[in-house]
Amino acid sequence: MKTRNKIALSALGVIVFLLMWEALARSGVVPARLLPSPSAVPAAFLTEFRSGTWQQMVLASLSHYLVGLGLGTLLGVSFGTAAALWGRWDAFQAWVVRMLRPIPAIAWIPFAIIWFGVSEGAASFLISLTVFWINYYASYAAVRAVDKDLIELGYAFGQGGLIPRLFKIVLPGALPGILSGVRAGLGQGWMTVVAAELFGISGLGMRMMEASGLLATNIVVLYMVTIALLYGVSDFLFMQIQSRVLSWQR
Amino acid sequence: MAAVTLSTKPAASVIDLEGVSIGYGKDAPPVLVDVDLSVERGSFVAIVGPSGVGKSTLLRVVAGLHTARGGKVTIHQDQRPGHRPVGLVFQDSRLLPWRRVIRNVEFGLEGLPVSRDERRRRAEAALKLVRLEGYAGRWPYELSGGQRQRIGIARAMAVDPDILLMDEPFGALDAITRHNLQDELRRIHQETGKTVLFVTHDLEEAVHLADRIIVLGGTPARVVRDVRNSAGRDGSVFRDQVEQLRSEIADNYSI
Repeated sequence: MKTRNKIALSALGVIVFLLMWEALARSGVVPARLLPSPSAVPAAFLTEFRSGTWQQMVLASLSHYLVGLGLGTLLGVSFGTAAALWGRWDAFQAWVVRMLRPIPAIAWIPFAIIWFGVSEGAASFLISLTVFWINYYASYAAVRAVDKDLIELGYAFGQGGLIPRLFKIVLPGALPGILSGVRAGLGQGWMTVVAAELFGISGLGMRMMEASGLLATNIVVLYMVTIALLYGVSDFLFMQIQSRVLSWQR
Repeated sequence: MAAVTLSTKPAASVIDLEGVSIGYGKDAPPVLVDVDLSVERGSFVAIVGPSGVGKSTLLRVVAGLHTARGGKVTIHQDQRPGHRPVGLVFQDSRLLPWRRVIRNVEFGLEGLPVSRDERRRRAEAALKLVRLEGYAGRWPYELSGGQRQRIGIARAMAVDPDILLMDEPFGALDAITRHNLQDELRRIHQETGKTVLFVTHDLEEAVHLADRIIVLGGTPARVVRDVRNSAGRDGSVFRDQVEQLRSEIADNYSI
């Protein structure tokens, strides 16, 4: 399919979705308080924007997100790579990982509050936890899958030491897989932003909770749309970087 | 267990194998035993034998990638700075897909006491040697199988090795490309005078290229024939001579 046709079809999909939503909201089948129409969102946006709340909330969430994403990605990639490289370390940490892995980030909220208080740190901590696991497993698998023949090539040409092997063969070879993990973490990170802020840390999630308490559902939808847009922009930007970094792929 | 010994004493040979035996598992029977072999400087030696006989493993032992079970492996290294004792060419080219051609050729020079400019200059010279000087900026995926093999040869030649080890380098290529590359390799050998140890299962190829053919055979395998081949040396291969050598070696194949 041509790129232009693809873009046109995706735009059409969004428009049809919004129209159906608008029709459902206006039909009166569902009370307006329960389901605001999409046309009510721009007005909500103007109010929130004029008061400066929207900008404040976006910036607050962005800062939690970026800190959590950065930390979780860095640690996840490092630990995943280390476990894949060293069998002994892998065996040592295997059961610890199995025990910790199934605990969702939200379950750590009590500890996040006890350790960090209701603070930015708590939100970033929860986001980094989510992002950590995604990157841990993606990096582990990607490093394991690096072509052993290329590692042998390194030994044959005097690049078998840990540092050259890691930076000239293992990490570049694992990069496509690692970047898929980073991208998945990018999306999961936004989901955790909302969950982490629901208990009162300033940001999009907190504002949504406030609005839902007042049944201001149009404001809730406004922030839902905001998150969707922020995710869309971050994913798009990441894809641009990724396709550049991986331009060696066919 | 025998690792490779590097010697800087002047010697007529580049490699000396003495009583080398090779096996895979700890308790598995050896696949190759009692290999004695001296490769003279500047010679082109082919190792032939049926598949599974251990010829590639023998090459990997010389390259230091596999440890022999017994015996002694010595490489007589020239005392010149900025070079590696061996340059290895694989059957599957093994270019790093994330490096452009020129950076692939530079790969083996990294870590040697060679300046960045010198590294680039040597990589460019190696590309010129394999007649792909216009391909420096390409990605490996943009190359044909034959071109990839040429880059593999350039990468091995760039480290200015004492000996060029080639593990069935043309085995996966189509017939026309294979013949072209065989001719190129003969030219490179004549131009540079490099010592070459070449593993192949193709007798014709061995006869065409090498001035000495080592035949491995038997279970466990050992050297069953060591033939001086005058056919390939001067570049004019005489049909009857090739046929004679072929049948002579082929008799040993079934041992």
